[in-house]
Amino acid sequence: MKIADKNTKAVDLVKAALAKAEEYKDYNVFISMNAEAALAKAAEIDEKIAKGEKVGKLAGVPYALKDNYSSHDGNTTAAAHILDSYHSPITATAVAKIEAEGAIMIGRANLDAFAHGGSTENSYFGPTKNSADDTRVAGGSSGGSAVATALDIVEFALGSDTGGSIRQPASFNGVYGIKPTYGAVSRYGVVAMASSTDTMGCFAKKAEDVDLVMSIMAGQDAKDSTTLPDYWTKNLDEVKPAKKKIGLIRDCFGDGIDPEVAKIVREYGDKLKAQGFEIEEFDMPILKYGLAIYYVVQPAEVASNLSRYDGVRYALRSKDVKSLDDVFVNSRNEGFMKENKRRIMIGNFVLSSGFYDAYYLKAQKARTLLINAYNEAFEKYDALLCPVAPTPAFKLGEKTSDPLTMYLEDAMTVPASMAGLPALSVPAGETEAGLPVGAQLIGRAQSDQLLLSIAKQIEDSEAK
Amino acid sequence: MSEYKITVGIECHVQLNTKTKLFSAVDNDAVDKEPNSCVSPFDYALPGMLPVLNKEAVHKAVQAGLAMNCKIGLESRFDRKHYFYPDSPAGYQITQMYKPIIGAGVIHLQGFDDVRINHAHLEGDAGKLTHFDDYSLVDLNRAGTPLIEIVSEADIHSAAQARAYAEELHRLMIYAGVSNGDLYQGNMRFDVNTSVSKTDELGTRTEVKNLNSFRSVERAVEYEAARQIALLEKGEKVVQETRGWNDATGKTTGQRSKEGAADYRYMPEPDIPPVVLTQEYVDKVASEMPAMPDFYREKFEPLKLDNSEREAILNYPLLAGRLAEVCEENIKLAPRVAHWFSGVLLAEENLDKDFSLATAAELAELSEMVEKSELSSTAGKEVFIQLYNKKNTSKTPHALAKEMNLLQENDEGALEQIIDEVLAAPECQKAAEDVRNGEMKAIGFLVGQVMKKSKGKANPGAVNKLIQKKLS
Amino acid sequence: MLHLAELSRLSISEEEIEPLKKDLDSIVSYISQLNELNTDGVEPTYQCFDMQNVWREDEIQEFEAKREDLLALAPESEDNQIKVPKVL
Repeated sequence: MKIADKNTKAVDLVKAALAKAEEYKDYNVFISMNAEAALAKAAEIDEKIAKGEKVGKLAGVPYALKDNYSSHDGNTTAAAHILDSYHSPITATAVAKIEAEGAIMIGRANLDAFAHGGSTENSYFGPTKNSADDTRVAGGSSGGSAVATALDIVEFALGSDTGGSIRQPASFNGVYGIKPTYGAVSRYGVVAMASSTDTMGCFAKKAEDVDLVMSIMAGQDAKDSTTLPDYWTKNLDEVKPAKKKIGLIRDCFGDGIDPEVAKIVREYGDKLKAQGFEIEEFDMPILKYGLAIYYVVQPAEVASNLSRYDGVRYALRSKDVKSLDDVFVNSRNEGFMKENKRRIMIGNFVLSSGFYDAYYLKAQKARTLLINAYNEAFEKYDALLCPVAPTPAFKLGEKTSDPLTMYLEDAMTVPASMAGLPALSVPAGETEAGLPVGAQLIGRAQSDQLLLSIAKQIEDSEAK
Repeated sequence: MSEYKITVGIECHVQLNTKTKLFSAVDNDAVDKEPNSCVSPFDYALPGMLPVLNKEAVHKAVQAGLAMNCKIGLESRFDRKHYFYPDSPAGYQITQMYKPIIGAGVIHLQGFDDVRINHAHLEGDAGKLTHFDDYSLVDLNRAGTPLIEIVSEADIHSAAQARAYAEELHRLMIYAGVSNGDLYQGNMRFDVNTSVSKTDELGTRTEVKNLNSFRSVERAVEYEAARQIALLEKGEKVVQETRGWNDATGKTTGQRSKEGAADYRYMPEPDIPPVVLTQEYVDKVASEMPAMPDFYREKFEPLKLDNSEREAILNYPLLAGRLAEVCEENIKLAPRVAHWFSGVLLAEENLDKDFSLATAAELAELSEMVEKSELSSTAGKEVFIQLYNKKNTSKTPHALAKEMNLLQENDEGALEQIIDEVLAAPECQKAAEDVRNGEMKAIGFLVGQVMKKSKGKANPGAVNKLIQKKLS
Repeated sequence: MLHLAELSRLSISEEEIEPLKKDLDSIVSYISQLNELNTDGVEPTYQCFDMQNVWREDEIQEFEAKREDLLALAPESEDNQIKVPKVL
């Protein structure tokens, strides 16, 4: 990563990033730009450097921020009309930490509204286009962040991953994307989607850049009671696998998987083998239910978390208001996207009296079985390998008509989310048509750095 | 015709007096503060805000539970209760639906049967709405104040018992020190569920919400029971509903309710890990509990106080504590102090006196002065009142009595001199003659004359004896 | 459907009902496959990791957003309070 110093001016790094953003404007990567504040911050850093003062580990590095992280720079819209006028008076912990090290946000990246989606087509601000093929989707929900990284506008971008929202767009755009262990990074100040699986991660083009950014973002936060004690403390080269054995999840290579995707991921397994890892295929039948578990728990938490957007205290209040109920109903109706509404209604259905036990409680019990299956697998393997998504990037508009088809995109990413496990999307190759494909490495809780060190080993071997 | 049996269950919300709110580190004391001045980004429910549990609220909830003789839930957790309303910023209240921190217990009442507690849970209070002609205003100062909601079993069978229960809960909460117990400020609010039936099967109940005085609890039960009986007698049915209480008219009225029961869609709160307490911790809190009303009731047993007198004193933990200390000093002196408390201090209109001003030692000393006839009982009361005057904090009762010129004359020499003067007075000759002839009624007149001459400082008993001696 | 919309404080127009119902039906039928799983005696997982007693001391803290910052966000306000149409 290019960091500002005596020879590299932060202002030049920011200007270059802003110019690239302008060049790729048609991709609809950003919801809003932060040019003025970014240049001012860069000038401050350059001044510090000139004076010989200490600057941070990410001094002057431009980055893109998924537009669901709160900060004083720009509106935090979550790509939804109901929040598009919302200027946050607080700063997300992750943003505060990154910026304390000198990173400079150049723009707020597009996403599916409230992070509901796998294509960034559910944005109030229109879809973001795929970096390799502009007739295809960026993936999502962190589509803007992935494309900003893939197009080299920025060297890293922040995203959030609740069921695959970092990993899948990373796969579709050929960059690294990490969903850390649940609780590794504070959720404070990030617009909540599904609280029990929301994680904050990032995109970058090199494993060690991911590691650097994450080592800064991670850590226990008194403002988020679910954060884990600090553990992101090692040097990647010091992290060694205990067994040198990786489990290839056979269930993820069956029906519905694009053959090219399956081939590329298996080839990534071969590269691991070449580095001395033993690859063993195994079955995890419970995975079949992962998506069903997710599409009970997640909408329930979504419905709950989106209750606060009621038109009363901030952001959008409908103009069409005669009664209090109009404030609630019309503001929400005007402000949410169709997909938001669908999830709210499913969530309220599974939580409603009479259905709670059959759906919500049942799913949370099934979640226990899923976690048990992972624990069993990690008795044998250092990490698990499978595809990120069943297909490469699909065409814009291809899956918007049927929500369930879109949900099936998440089938291989949601299980790790439900178990809170770290999972890394590694750029593994391209299809004949030149579409990027990622491989997914899943590790036991808090083994995030092990996943990165494995990926780095492959990266290093290919650089030789 | 058999009698109707009234059955009542009460839910009581108690605001805990922690320094900060239940889930946000913002001032929990909004008394006399501007609207929305005790509000954090969490209370305002900004996007991405997360609850952080107040440890002290957990501690106080455990104390409250122990005060009610309840089992403490060693593992408790929070749930979200969803409803849209402007006083509920997140669109849900964080409460404890499935695993409350306080389990079953029992409240002993004086003169009534016990009332069992089903459970009590910890939750955040809602904000406050003020209504105007065509709009309402939202103040979130109270949003997130820690509450415990105490749910009783339907063990109450009269309006008087309902009131006694509410009063006893109030005493328990203030003795445990977990609530300021200021009903005017809404520190304790009661929802009463009333039904009537002639059989063992319970009748249809109604709920009267948000009662904020003991009197309104009693009156609401009385009114509801009478209303329901009247309906049934007319052959009509009681509708299960929430009814509002009008304190001015003393009546309840049906509130327009939406079709069907509310569906709160309870969901485990994913942002707060469970609270797991050890039995050792609970035992330690129990061992550190302040004395409860029952402790004092037992302590005051030998004083033979009226029920109402004792309970009135018990409403003020500080007075109960003082009285207990006086008992320790000399139990014989305590009943008089108790009478002063109930008959003088608590009988006054304005109770803004600082009850801590008179120490137990002072109270015992004063009581002893009356006991030894150094002060008349009337003078004793006057000195007692002065003990609660801030200017007198450094003065002993004796010094005060002296300063107020109220000390009784017990010196026989001095008394004899006055008596001799009285007996020599012409207007007293008839009475003196009568006494000599055994008409003892006349002695009162002579004693009165002596008292007058001594300006009330003579000890009437001693005077009586001396006059008899002289005239025999 | 209308009850769900009511619970969700959303309104659905006549023409939206059918397609939305179709979507929700297919999703509900998908998640219903969980019934194939035997979960007898299994404890539910509400949070991934067994954390407990995460709490803070009872001390007042300063916040990044002050009262004025928060009230400035309100679509309508009066006397430092948030204004809404009359609550019935």
